[in-house]
Amino acid sequence: MDRGFFSNIELRTRNGRIYYAVAVLSLLLVAVVTLFPFFFAFTSGLKNSTEIFTGGLNLFPESPQWHNYTDAWTRFDMMRLFGNSFLLVGVGVFLRVVVSAAAAFSLSKLKPVGGRVIIFGFLLTLMIPSIAYFVPLYITIAKLPIINVSLLNSYWGLWLPYCVDAFSIFVLKTFFDRIPSDLIDSARVDGANPFQMFIRIILPLSRSIIIVLCVLAFVGLWKDFLLPYLVLTDPAKQPITVRLFYIADDYSVNLQMAASFMALLPPLFIAILLQRYMKIGLTLGGVKG
Amino acid sequence: MMNTPYRVDANLKPPTIRRHPINYSKLRSTLPRQFFAYLFLLPALVVFALFAWLPILSSIQMSFQDVRLGQEATWVGLDNFTLMFRDPVFEIAWKNSIQFTTWSLLLGYLVPVVIAILVREMRIGKGFFRVVYFLPTVVPTAIAVIIWRFIYDPDGGVLNEILKALGYSRLLWLQDANLVKPALVAVMTWGGFGTTTLIYLASLQDVALELYEAAELDGASPLQRIRHISLPHLYPVMSLMFILQIIAVVQVFTEPFLLTNGGPGRETLTPAMHIYNRAFIRADMGYASAWSVTMILVLLAFSVIYRVVNNRLSAET
Repeated sequence: MDRGFFSNIELRTRNGRIYYAVAVLSLLLVAVVTLFPFFFAFTSGLKNSTEIFTGGLNLFPESPQWHNYTDAWTRFDMMRLFGNSFLLVGVGVFLRVVVSAAAAFSLSKLKPVGGRVIIFGFLLTLMIPSIAYFVPLYITIAKLPIINVSLLNSYWGLWLPYCVDAFSIFVLKTFFDRIPSDLIDSARVDGANPFQMFIRIILPLSRSIIIVLCVLAFVGLWKDFLLPYLVLTDPAKQPITVRLFYIADDYSVNLQMAASFMALLPPLFIAILLQRYMKIGLTLGGVKG
Repeated sequence: MMNTPYRVDANLKPPTIRRHPINYSKLRSTLPRQFFAYLFLLPALVVFALFAWLPILSSIQMSFQDVRLGQEATWVGLDNFTLMFRDPVFEIAWKNSIQFTTWSLLLGYLVPVVIAILVREMRIGKGFFRVVYFLPTVVPTAIAVIIWRFIYDPDGGVLNEILKALGYSRLLWLQDANLVKPALVAVMTWGGFGTTTLIYLASLQDVALELYEAAELDGASPLQRIRHISLPHLYPVMSLMFILQIIAVVQVFTEPFLLTNGGPGRETLTPAMHIYNRAFIRADMGYASAWSVTMILVLLAFSVIYRVVNNRLSAET
C-alpha cells in the first residue's frame, strides 16, 4: 500500500483535498519558476531584434522568427562548437571511466601492497577540490614535469586531468567488492589473466553502475568552464561552454538566446532520456561524498 | 629434570617456527599478482600524481616563494602570508564568501526539504516533478549566465518588467550592492536545488509507512506527522547537506566571474576569483598560492567535519 504522511482515505476528505491542492499548486509554481529560464531563452530566441527590446511582458513572440535558430547555428559556427564539446567530453568520459575502473578493480580484487595508502591519497583529492589548486594545476599542464611537454591548447591537457576522479574509483570499488571473489578465483584456475577477468567478468557485471558514472561524467565535464577556459586559448578548439560565452556579446540578444538554448539541448536530452541513471548517480554522490 | 624448562616454556608463547622460510609457490602467485595490481593502478596513480597530488604540494611550496613567470623562484618565508593578511581584499573576499554562504542557506537550504516532502506526497506526477527540478543542474553555468543576465537586465529584463506590471520601480539587480549577492545566489540555487531534492526524496522513501499510520491513529495532524516523523528522519541527511552546501559555496567562481566579474566594486569578489586575478592577471603565482593554501585549509576543515558527521551517522544506523 502506498501512502505518505497522508493516508489515501484522508485525501478524500475536504481538508485533505485542500492540503493536496495547495501542495500541487506550490510544486507547479516551483516547476514554472525552474523551467522559466529555458522557456525564456527559447521564446526570446524566436523574437525579432526590435521586439526583443520592447518593454512589457511579451513572453510569446508575435511572429516567431524560426530563422533565428538557423542564423545562430551558422553565425556562431555551432557545428564546430558542438563537435569540439563532444570530442572533448566524449573522450574525457571514456578515459575517466577506464582509468577509474582499472584502479578500482586493482584495489578491490588484486589487493596491491600499500593499497590503504593509495586509497588515502585518492580520498585526499575528494576533500580538496581542484579549485583550490588550479594555479599549480595550470602550471603542470603548461609544462609537464620531467618530460617538459606543454599540453596547452591540446585536448590531452584536459583529458588527463579529467581522469582524476576519486569519486568514480570509490563507487566502482564498493561495487566490485560485492562481486564474489569465487568468480575471480575460478577464472584464475581456468587460467585467465587479470586483463581477461577485468574485461570478461568485472566490466559486464557492472554495466549499470558504469552507465551511471558515464552519465554523471558527461554532464559534469560538459559543464566544466574554468579548466577549458585556461587550457584552450585557441578559439578553434574551445568547447561550446567557453566559446559561446565569449562571442555572445558580439551578436544581438535574440541570437544569443537561440544559441544558448541550442547549447543546452545535449545535456538536457541526456538528463531526460537517462534520468533513471542520473537519479541513481546524484543520490549516490550526496550521501557517500 | 629435563621437563622443567619445557613446563616453563609452556606458559610462554610457543616458539615461532618458520616452516617455510620462503613460500616459493606463494611467491610465484604473489609477485605477478602485485605486478598486475600495480599495472592496473598505474594510469590512476600517474594522473593523480601529476594533476592532483603534485599541484597540491606545489601550491604549498609556492606559497613560501616568490614565483613570477620567466624567473627563478626564490624563497621568501612567510612574506606571502603576511602580505595576504594585510591585503584589504582578504577581509572583503572572505566576508563575501560568508555572506554568499548565509544567503545560500537562507534562500536555498530549506527549499529542497519542503519540495521533497511535498513531492513524496504526490500520488501522480512524482516522476514529472523530479525531472523538472533537476533539469537546471545539467545546465553549464557559462550558458546559464547568458540567459540570466538578460533576465536581470535593468532595461527590458523580465524581472523588471514584472515589477513594472505590478507597479513598482525597476531595480538594478546586478549593479546594486544590496541586491547582487541574493541575485547571484538565486542563480546558484536554481542550478543546484534539484540534486539536493533528489537526495531528500530518496531518504524519504525509507520512512516506514507504519509510523505514519500509527501517528494517524493516535490523532496526530498531518503537520504533526511531518514534524515528528518526516523531518526527524531527514535530520541526518540535512546535517550532511548543510556542510556540503558550505563547501560548495566556498568554491564559487564561475557565477560571479562571468555574471558580475566581482562587481559592483568588490561586492561579489570571491577567494577563488582573487586567486585567478593574482595568478593570471598580475602573474604573481607565489602570492596567489598563499590564498590557495588558505582555501585548501578551509575546505579541508569542512571536509573533515563532513566525514566525522557522516561516520557518526552511519555508526548510529
